[in-house]
Amino acid sequence: MSGRVIRIGGSEQEHARYQALVAQHGSPLLILDRAELLRRYRLLQDQLPDADIYYAIKAFAHPAVLEALGRAGAHFDVASAGEIGLLQELKISGRRTIHTHPIKKDADIRAALRGGSTTFVVDNIDELGKLIPYKQRIGLLLRVSFRSDTAKVDLSRKFGCAPEQVPELVHQAATLGVHVRGLSFHVGSQSLSPTTHAEAIRRCAELIRETEEQEGRPLDVLDIGGGFPVDYTMSGFDADAYFRPIREALGSLPEHISVIAEPGRFLIAPAVTGICTVTGKARRGDYLWYYLDDGIYGSYSGQLFDHTLYPLQIFRDQGERRQSILAGPTCDSIDIIAEDVELPELEDGDLLIGHMMGAYTQATSTHFNSLEGAKVIVI
Amino acid sequence: MSKVFNETLYDALNQSFRIDKLYFEQKTGHQHLMIFHNAFLGRVMTLDGIVQTTERDEFIYHEMMAHVPLFAHGAPRRVLIIGGGDGGMLREVIKHAPVEQVTMVEIDGAVVEMAKTYLPKHSQGAFDDPRLNLVIADGMDFVRQSEERFDVIISDSTDPIGPGEVLFTDDFYAQCKRILNPGGVMATQNGVPFFQIDEVRDTARRMGRHFADQTFYSAAVPTYYGGVMTFAWGSDNPGLRTLDADILRRRFQDAAIETRYYTPEIHQASFALPRYVSTALAEN
Repeated sequence: MSGRVIRIGGSEQEHARYQALVAQHGSPLLILDRAELLRRYRLLQDQLPDADIYYAIKAFAHPAVLEALGRAGAHFDVASAGEIGLLQELKISGRRTIHTHPIKKDADIRAALRGGSTTFVVDNIDELGKLIPYKQRIGLLLRVSFRSDTAKVDLSRKFGCAPEQVPELVHQAATLGVHVRGLSFHVGSQSLSPTTHAEAIRRCAELIRETEEQEGRPLDVLDIGGGFPVDYTMSGFDADAYFRPIREALGSLPEHISVIAEPGRFLIAPAVTGICTVTGKARRGDYLWYYLDDGIYGSYSGQLFDHTLYPLQIFRDQGERRQSILAGPTCDSIDIIAEDVELPELEDGDLLIGHMMGAYTQATSTHFNSLEGAKVIVI
Repeated sequence: MSKVFNETLYDALNQSFRIDKLYFEQKTGHQHLMIFHNAFLGRVMTLDGIVQTTERDEFIYHEMMAHVPLFAHGAPRRVLIIGGGDGGMLREVIKHAPVEQVTMVEIDGAVVEMAKTYLPKHSQGAFDDPRLNLVIADGMDFVRQSEERFDVIISDSTDPIGPGEVLFTDDFYAQCKRILNPGGVMATQNGVPFFQIDEVRDTARRMGRHFADQTFYSAAVPTYYGGVMTFAWGSDNPGLRTLDADILRRRFQDAAIETRYYTPEIHQASFALPRYVSTALAEN
């Protein structure tokens, strides 16, 4: 498989640490490293010093993640009543959220308001209409679509109005008595080049000026979404080089505009490591098949839904390399983590480590075959 | 670092309260209840991020919602309170000697218990009054099914985004009308019109269908900030809200009730509405 990094071997110390975790907690596991999460948060704060960071809860909604980020002062991007409920459990105020789902039922809007989330995102006039009954309580962000060629998950196809529609929609909203606070966009997830972000910001700066002039009153927010990439290929990521063009573009905004960023993956992906275990093996034709206790229906669901190939690691580094297939625990033939990989022969009980497994892994895992799935261990 | 409660009612602005001590916090389902102490306000109860009542200013709300309809009626024997789990409304209603029975319908029995424990100054023992018939039930179900009749109905609800949504519906007002005695009156809390003018419009439309006389009266409750709040008023007797000041004064004197906000003059004046409210109603 192209683009997949597989590390064969590793330090004894590292291996012993993973073995100890499995001995204590069983297998499979997802290890959440809060210190790494906070390092990522501070890295993004350093790179985008003028932006308020709203963690996209959907990426990994574990309470320990929300609590750690909440204590660090982060805000939250919520998209459902369930996500607001998670914050309420942790006594994190709804005033620290924005509700970013562009399409909502009335019940969703009411639940959000009851949870204290009062800034909503819309991208069309029908959706705007649903918010009219609540117009005195709310503020809106208008979501604009900018397509990214490099994003792995294109979010500007499903949601967002065309930039040309912005002045008219803001005006219609004003006529209906609904306040548009500003604009938002999402170039897509794992957007490898900052160019789309930078261009979108510059275009939004123009739209904001145009709209403010047309309406004769200020907007106050630009939400630049998330999509900041992480280094699944382990080839090194120069954060400063990536964010510099974005910072420069932010300089084109009118000074009074507050900037919101909604990272999910960027914060959480490197903070979680998956551990699963070889539970059986078989020789079929030219291939050695290994059956792991986690797979596509579990923590590796992101390989399907999020199009991500997580860097893998095994510790056995001696012996002839064999054509191997790493398969998950369910009975479905699609449940394969990696095929056509050359590995030394593994034994039952060997560990398979999945690195950078925080974003859209457990979030999309299933209970297919009534498997419990990986246990999250917070360190 | 001191803790702060930030109200979440409006997007563009909010009031915040220092939490000197948190007494109680409970999150059940999608409802989030807090009771804390604030140096100026005393105990403050919030629900879903919105201030419900404070010890310092609850008297304005409870006196105005109880005494205005009760003195206007003149001979209220049977009173129905919908909601009001904190006991403050009950406390004011039972001060009226003609009242023979008070039925209070609270959806959540835990609220009553919690209020007895953490907000005892609200009820001041009113829950022990022998005239009380406390019913733990959905207010809407109660008014639909009740075969009793009442002289005064008071709806002391949350706002219509919260669990009190159903208490702002056409059907609720229709059922209240059904179980009111002839010449009876209903009063409901109806929000702060400076921020929520639509709530006044909606209620006028829905309640107006069922009562010969529908209007609002008002009072400024500081922690429901935004100027005056409105109380909706529905009766088939238009005379009830235009009573002579002398009649009100005599009733007030005879009742010998001590108040801190209510006076017969305030009572009369409270039916005068700000122009922005009457204009909105005229546009209905």
